[in-house]
Amino acid sequence: MAVQAVHLEADAFLVCLNHALSTEKEEVMGLCIGEVDTSRIVHIHSVIILRRSDKRKDRVEISPEQLSAASTEAERLAEMTGRPMRVVGWYHSHPHITVWPSHVDVRTQAMYQMMDQGFVGLIFSCFIEDKNTKTGRILYTCFQSIQAQKSSEYERIEIPIHVVPHETIGKVCLESAVELPKILCQEEQDAYRRIHSLTHLDSVTKIHNGSEEPANFTKPAANGVKALLTYRFQQEQPRVTQINSPWE
Amino acid sequence: MISKDATVPRPARARSDYTSQQPPRPAGSGRALGARCLVGAAAAAVVSIMAASISGYTFSSVCYFSANSSADHEGFLLGEVRQEETFSISDSQISNTEFLQVIEIHNHEPCSKLFSFYDYAGKVDEESLDRILKDRRKNVIGWYRFRRNTQQQMSYREHIIHKQLTHILGVPDLVFLLFSFISTANNSTHALEYVLFRPNRRYNQRVSLAIPNLGNTSQQEYKVSSVPNTSQNYAKVIKEYGTDFFDKDGVMKDIRAIYQVYNALQEKVQAVCIDVEKSERVVESFQADVNKLKRQIAQRKNEKEQKIRLQQAILSRQMPADNLEPMFVPRMSYTGFAVEGCTLEDSDVSDPPPPYSDFSATSQESTVSHGLLESSVFMPRPQAVGSSGYVSTNTGLKYSGNGASMPSSQRAVGDNVDESEDSDYENLLEPTESSDSEYSQTRDSRPSAHPDGDSRNTQTSQI
Repeated sequence: MAVQAVHLEADAFLVCLNHALSTEKEEVMGLCIGEVDTSRIVHIHSVIILRRSDKRKDRVEISPEQLSAASTEAERLAEMTGRPMRVVGWYHSHPHITVWPSHVDVRTQAMYQMMDQGFVGLIFSCFIEDKNTKTGRILYTCFQSIQAQKSSEYERIEIPIHVVPHETIGKVCLESAVELPKILCQEEQDAYRRIHSLTHLDSVTKIHNGSEEPANFTKPAANGVKALLTYRFQQEQPRVTQINSPWE
Repeated sequence: MISKDATVPRPARARSDYTSQQPPRPAGSGRALGARCLVGAAAAAVVSIMAASISGYTFSSVCYFSANSSADHEGFLLGEVRQEETFSISDSQISNTEFLQVIEIHNHEPCSKLFSFYDYAGKVDEESLDRILKDRRKNVIGWYRFRRNTQQQMSYREHIIHKQLTHILGVPDLVFLLFSFISTANNSTHALEYVLFRPNRRYNQRVSLAIPNLGNTSQQEYKVSSVPNTSQNYAKVIKEYGTDFFDKDGVMKDIRAIYQVYNALQEKVQAVCIDVEKSERVVESFQADVNKLKRQIAQRKNEKEQKIRLQQAILSRQMPADNLEPMFVPRMSYTGFAVEGCTLEDSDVSDPPPPYSDFSATSQESTVSHGLLESSVFMPRPQAVGSSGYVSTNTGLKYSGNGASMPSSQRAVGDNVDESEDSDYENLLEPTESSDSEYSQTRDSRPSAHPDGDSRNTQTSQI
């Protein structure tokens, strides 16, 4: 097996979860940045949130341009952290859907593995609720693809994944977290521009669309501010008590 | 005779003739109204339901703190509660009053360790509570607990604590959010389940918890077509008022304004991000100092204990040699991980749980982690997220995922000594019984009782 296990740092996990929980209407995706050690354990230190140009259901694919941009970003992170970082995997969300990868996901993963045997795929399944027990559920899994024995189809293989504690949020993860509202706003801007270019719409419709846009637009940005203020406040409080304890 | 189906307006006073419920009270000042009561044909039904929501980033933040914790994790939920009353008339009932209590969880206050505001008997200490909450006490609407490999039910201790919190905080409908974490045998898939309880209601009622997001709160879609209108009057009016909406470039004025708001928000986010980053680095350096000091303290205590034991061994001559083994196991390195919920008293820092090793480049103790690797085979393993040491022997693992119990061929066994994380995999091959017996053996030598804090020991955690 090319990969023994995946160790996902808790702050990268935080960003992934935040991203996955940002919308239940469509799948979100991103790339995992990290390194692989000599025992073939993949360490994910950070993630890059990607914009989805093709928002079809259950078709989560990353364009070559995005991959290339992500590699550049990984190089920048490597310089910043002083560690050999590169793109080691991808993640996407399955809102309201089972956590297992679809055949499209498995095939996509197989394609990435052709470039890099150690490439891993993560899936976050969210917004699931058991109506009887009122239990909500969030699942995450890690997988790779192998060629099935008797057919030319690909099968998934499971890779152990652990979330490794990381008591503080790294700079790289903070930057990724801040990117999320920016990317969501950009997507909204693009959607509005496409609509705005439709010349056959009459003025009242344009006014309607124009008033939809701001609400869609500012929500992610406002959420971003709220999220960061939340993190900051929370970090300060427990730290003080933790640090105090040895001297009590 | 008036038919039941007729919508006849009735005087408000008549409601009180039929209902046996108390009049509605504002949120937070009394118990919410309860059961339905039907008296006679023309009855007033009063239904009380609760809708709860938690913001996505608060939820992620709780998951983050929980993932960082090797034991159970708990904290308080902050937010607001409001009550909405819907009064409707239908054919089956003359009046139907629905009280909807809406709970919005905006934030959380994590506790740095277990037993921080209650003792082992489950008695809540109000002073400690105030120290944790400070001025956020008035915003508390509930509390939460994160446990691994346990059932989705409140434990007895949690019930006791909840009752006291309800009384002390003065929140009659205090809620309890229970997070439960389970994994497949090969640790490839993990599930975080969450249930919101209303323990002060009958039968410990469960409430659906929604996570508002862009998918369910965004506005309607943009319109891509419009009804054509060729009326000249229409065109005239639009032209006259068009300048109120559109500027000379044909762009909506509102859009420009909103871009300004967005840019301002984005700048704010960047500024806060920089602040957070700075404070995180400060915290990191403090944490490193704290860990270093803890190590030194533990090391000195160890050396002292070793000296005493050596002396005792020399004196007694009867102590069997192998009894000394677990006591000499180095316990000093706990790289980058805070001690949580494992000490009987705050001042006792000599017996932390074995650490979950941190892979950050700052930890330079490859030799120590080698020692840790050997020791961790014998020592009780911290119940890290997805740690297999416990899960593998739990044959009744209730993974309600999709029937995935994977073959052991999927298990990875690491052999790199620099990374004691690999002992996670080695432990898959270790029977838990032996590590339990080692645990009980070391228990005698060190008072590092792992009470409810260690969710590995489900019996105690269910108390």
